[in-house]
Parts: sequence; structure tokens; C-alpha cells
Amino acid sequence: MFKDHFKKISITATSMIIFSFIASTALSISYFITKSPIDESDAKAKKIFLNQVISANLYDNDLVKDTISAEPSQLLGNKKNIEIYRAKIKNKVVAVIIESIAPDGYSGEIKTLVGIDHENKVLGVRVINHKETPGLGDYIEIEKSKWIKNFDNTSLEKITENHWAVKKDGGEFDYTTGATITPRAVIKSTYKTLLYAKENKQRLFAL
Amino acid sequence: MNSIQKIALDGFWKQNPGVVQLLGLCPTLAITTSVINGLSLGIATAIVMALSNGSVSPIRKFIPIEIRVPVFVLIIASLVTIIDFSIHAFIQPLYKALGIFIPLIVTNCIVLARVESFAAKNETTPSFFDGLFMGLGLAMVLTLLGGLRELFGKGTLFSGIDLVFGPSANNLVIHFFGDYHGFLLAILPPGAFIGLACLIALKNRIETNQ
Amino acid sequence: MNNRSPYIVNAPSVSTIMFKVLLALIPGIALYVYAYGFGVLVNIFLASLTVLLTESTILSIRKLPIKPFIFDGSGLVTAWLLALSIPSIAPWWIIVLGTLLCIIFGKHLYGGLGYNLFNPAMVGYAILLISFPAFMTHWQAPIFLIDGHFAWIDQIKIIFNSQLISKETVDAISSATPLDYIKTQLTLDQPLSRIKQDKIFGFFGGQSLEMINFGYLVGGLYLLKEKIVSWHLPVAFLLTLFLIGLIFNIYQPDTFASPLFQIMSGGSILCAFFIITDPVSAPTTPKGKIYFGIAIALLVFIIRIFGGYPEGIAFAVLFMNICVPLIDSLTQPRVFGHKQ
Repeated sequence: MFKDHFKKISITATSMIIFSFIASTALSISYFITKSPIDESDAKAKKIFLNQVISANLYDNDLVKDTISAEPSQLLGNKKNIEIYRAKIKNKVVAVIIESIAPDGYSGEIKTLVGIDHENKVLGVRVINHKETPGLGDYIEIEKSKWIKNFDNTSLEKITENHWAVKKDGGEFDYTTGATITPRAVIKSTYKTLLYAKENKQRLFAL
Repeated sequence: MNSIQKIALDGFWKQNPGVVQLLGLCPTLAITTSVINGLSLGIATAIVMALSNGSVSPIRKFIPIEIRVPVFVLIIASLVTIIDFSIHAFIQPLYKALGIFIPLIVTNCIVLARVESFAAKNETTPSFFDGLFMGLGLAMVLTLLGGLRELFGKGTLFSGIDLVFGPSANNLVIHFFGDYHGFLLAILPPGAFIGLACLIALKNRIETNQ
Repeated sequence: MNNRSPYIVNAPSVSTIMFKVLLALIPGIALYVYAYGFGVLVNIFLASLTVLLTESTILSIRKLPIKPFIFDGSGLVTAWLLALSIPSIAPWWIIVLGTLLCIIFGKHLYGGLGYNLFNPAMVGYAILLISFPAFMTHWQAPIFLIDGHFAWIDQIKIIFNSQLISKETVDAISSATPLDYIKTQLTLDQPLSRIKQDKIFGFFGGQSLEMINFGYLVGGLYLLKEKIVSWHLPVAFLLTLFLIGLIFNIYQPDTFASPLFQIMSGGSILCAFFIITDPVSAPTTPKGKIYFGIAIALLVFIIRIFGGYPEGIAFAVLFMNICVPLIDSLTQPRVFGHKQ
């Protein structure tokens, strides 16, 4: 009686072990085959995204790997260390890409990437993710509208502090009627990112 | 009618997973915001189903009955992970668009349901075709629903085709209206429920008329 | 057990009731026209026309007699409520599409009048709000707040082809609603007392809007007097909204508006007397009606203050509509002789 039982359990356990072994072998093989293509395609995708902020002909280094770390800062709104990408020509930093968080969107945080060159000029801004109302506040996405391109070539010198605002508040920037909170948040965070870049210029653009 | 034909008819029409069995509704509803999304996930699911049915059937006699479900899940999960790796490695933009829904094929009941109810009892060839046609039947529904939602929601068809075939395919996107405001409801989750309901109603209507 | 709302028994026919409901809306509509011009009438006309065409088409497809169903007036009530809920300067296709959706998805797919689970007008409104938020949150300013000359023809132009008039004119005649304005300004860290200095605010609620709400209130009281709506729903709804508004207002007067503001702005009054009182989609038991009204008021308040949209009535009503069968079965009076 007990012997039969034991035999049955052993067979079940052994077959489960065999199946697990086969499955994990198959998984390991496919993992090793696909590992380097996955890394490559991830890096490529990241590069394509970063190139929207700083166009590819402005630098000659491997942007994705050339990063420095930034401490939490009031101006960037980050609570953890974040990476700042540095674009270089012949080993001289020409521009940086900073991730910035606008805490005051209509429904939660709006994360953006801001590209800033060594003259404190904005090269481009792109939204990474947000939770704004679909059809109303989501025109900050480049797929939905060209609005985000309004930031191209702006700088602290060109636009004075009071004019970093939507037109409704007496500023320089367009907005869509019915959705002013979203652009306000993005404008404010871009402005603060520029301030951050100015204050930390030594560090960001050091070799 | 030979058995393969019957299996195909079951998969595409009589026992269609999307509109008759109503199994695997999570991806059906969540991912079908465009033709390309629906079709891609449908094909990925069909591949998983064909392979899992095809691999369970030949070894079905070696699987102790008590642990058949863990073994089935193990096989399905491995297959899904391999497909997930491959899409991530070779079609990165699509991987980003489908996101979590590729790994989630594991939890799609239709896959386990076909393995348990068909592959565990039948020979390898019919099992393989059962998985394939059931998967393609689901893919058909996903594509139709994706098309419906995309057409009403964005006024286009095949948007996002560049995710699969690269940027050069962008001119294959069909725009139906010049100035379309976008009927957002169709793209948002409620649109998926309404769209699926319409498809089910349509199928029932065709059946009652026959 | 069958929890469906009963057809009104031993009572005036459906068409008499619906006619009286339409009549009760007239004071509100008249004040609306006085304060905002003719846009709303255009919308009401378009909605009524769409209802008649859609209903006769669907009824003939369903092979039902057309005449009695069309003249019961319930479709017209739905159409008018939807027309009063959307901005009066929304493009014409908004109201046409909305009414179409109300009638098809809100009413006939469920089997027609008496079988609909959801309030048809709110189904249409919610679909429109989710699908076209830009048009649905673009409201007209009251006429006497508009700077410069305002011709009624501009309103017609905006509705039928907004490209005919300049962007400046559009900007000049549009304005945020008080609920939306408060929400927006609060994010700029302004105290409520300063926000309410703006010209769009009146005594209790929004400038002119409170007047229209007063018109709806008169109509609602008429419906109460005629015993077409029972007091449970409006009283439970308004009282709850008032109380929760009061609690928050006392707690933080610089963030939360006064309870009277909650009642006199947005669609509160219209909701209390005309929307949640829809005999088909509301509970049938008196106790159930009270719970229903309380729950909707709480949801409305939560969505207004914390939600992603400025006004939450449609979502609150639809959500509670789902709960109606449950409410009905839980509040069914105990049949004599049966144990609890």
C-alpha cells in the first residue's frame, strides 16, 4: 500500500522535474540567443527617442551610455537619482538631456525629457509619460500636436521669467481652450529645468 | 468534410474563441485599439496555441494525470517567453506597443483550454491545426475589432504599420476623412465592450438567418 | 424576481407625464435663452428632430407601431435634457450624434422605453464628454459678460460652421464654467475668496447660471406638486450635496466652495428634478430612492472635487443606475407573513 503510493509520487515528481528541466533549458538557450539583439534594440529605441530631443547630427558620441547622475532636486522634481545624458562633439559636451517631472498636471505627474545646449538654449522637449485627459490635455504629445515644439530654441534670455506662461496668463505660449493646467505644468517644469541647467552648468558641461 | 476542415470551421466560426467561447477577453478588449495591434497580438497568440497544442499532444501519454495542468502551464509559459524574447529582440517597436500583453498570453484561458480539451486527447496533427485555427479565429476577431475601433476612433486603418515593417511602410496607412475629430470612445475601453457586443450580435444575426 | 420598474399604474398616461415634464423645463429654457441667446434653442430643435427621425427608423426596423411610441414624448424628454446639458455653442453634429447614441445605445438596444437600464440622456452625455472633451468643455459666456458687440448670428455660425467667424470672436464669447474655473485656479494656489471675485460668479453659483438653475427649480417644484416625481429623490440628493458641501466648506473654506454653490452650479438642480427622477432607471421603493439620491450626491461631489472632469453628474448617475436592481431588491418591503 505505502509502497504503491510512494512509487506513484516518485514518478509524478520525477516527470515534473524532467519537464521543468526541459523547459528551463529551452528558456536559457533562447535567452542567450536573444540577449544581445534585445540589448541592441533597446539601445536603438532609446537612441531614437533621445534623437527627438537632440538631433543626431549635433553630436558624435554614444549618447545612451554617456551619462552622469543627478541628485534629487527641487527644480527637476525628481525624488531619486536620475541620469543626465550628455551629447559630445570631439569629447566636448555640447548639450545635455535632462529628465524633468512636472508634479502639477491635471491628473498627476508629467515626465518630460528636455534637451539643453551649452548656451542654455532648449533644443527640444518631449513628453515621456503623462495621465492627462485623452482628447483634452494630451496635445503635449508629439503624436497628437506640434505644441511641444514651441519650446524649441527658447531660453531664459529670450523669454523673461514672467513670460514663461500660457498666453492666457500673459505669457508666450499657446494653449488649447479648456486645457490650461497641462501646458502650465509643462511650461513651468521646462523653465525650472533651464534654471537647473544654468545653476549646475559647471558640472553638467564639465569633461 | 474531413477533420482538418471541420477543425478550421470550428476555429473560425462555430466555436470561435472571440465571439462564441468568449475566452481570453482581457487581450481582446485591451489591445484592440488598431488593426495592427489586434492582428499582431492575434498572430502571436495563434503561434503560441499551435505550438503548445502541437507539443503537448505527442507527449500527452507521458504526463501523469495529476500534474497535467502544471505541465501544460509550464510548456505554455516557456513558449510565450520565447516568443516574447524574439519580439523584443527583432521587432522592438511592436514590443513596446503590445507591452505586457505578450507575456500575458500565458494567462489567456483559451490557450490552456485548447490544450486541456483538445491536445490532451487527440493526435498531434489535428491538435496542431486545432491550436492554429482557434488562434487564427481569435486573431480574426481581434483584427476586426481593432479595425472597427480604429476606423471610428481615429478615422484610419493600419496606423502603426511602421511598428512592424519600419518607417517606410507609413504610406500604407489609410486615412478616410481629411478632418476627423476622432471619436475617442471607440479607442477607450468602453468602445471595446461595445464593439465586441456588436460583433457577437452580428454573428448571432447571421446564424439565425441561415 | 423581476425588479424592473413598473409602468406607471393607475396614473396618467406616459404621454401626459412626459408632456408635463417638458412643460416644467420651459422656465429654465426661457431664462437660458434670456441669458445666453438662441444657441440652446437650435440645439433643442436639432435634438428633437434627430429623436423623431431615429425613433421612427428604429421602430420600423423593429416592426413596432410608430405613432404611439413616438408620441409618448419620452424621446423628446431625453433629447431636451441632453440639449440642455451640452454647451450651447457646440458644433451641430455633437447634439445630433449624442441624441442618436442616446436613442440607440441608451434606449432601443435594451428593448425600448421601460427596459432601459441606464438613463438615456446621461448615456449620450457621457459618451460625448469622453469622446469630444474639447467641444464638451467649451462653454459660452453669458451675453452681458461678453465684451463688445454680440450678434445672435454668430451663435448660429459657431454651431453650424465655426470657421465662418474669427478666432477672436470665439474666444470673446466663450468662458470657463465656475466649477471648471475654480478647479483650474486652485492649481495656481489662489485662495477661493480671490477666485470668486471673478465676474463669472454670481450670488451663489455662476453668474446667469444660478438664474437658469432657479428656473429649473420652479419647474421641479411644479413636478412635485403634480406628483409626477416623488420628493424622495430630489430631497435626498440636494440635502446630501448640501451637507457634504457644508462639511468640506467649514473644514477648509479657502479650497472648498460653499454648499449653496454646489447646489446652484453645474447641473445639480436639473439632475435632482429631471435626471435622477427618470421613472425607468431609478429605484422604485421609497427607501431605495433615498439611498439612490444620497449615493449620487456623494459621487457627484467626489468627482467634482477630485475627479478628472469638472462635472460628475453623468458618471454618478450611470454608476448608480447599475446598482438599481440591487438597491431595489435590498429595499423591497417585507411581504406580510414572510420572515426577514
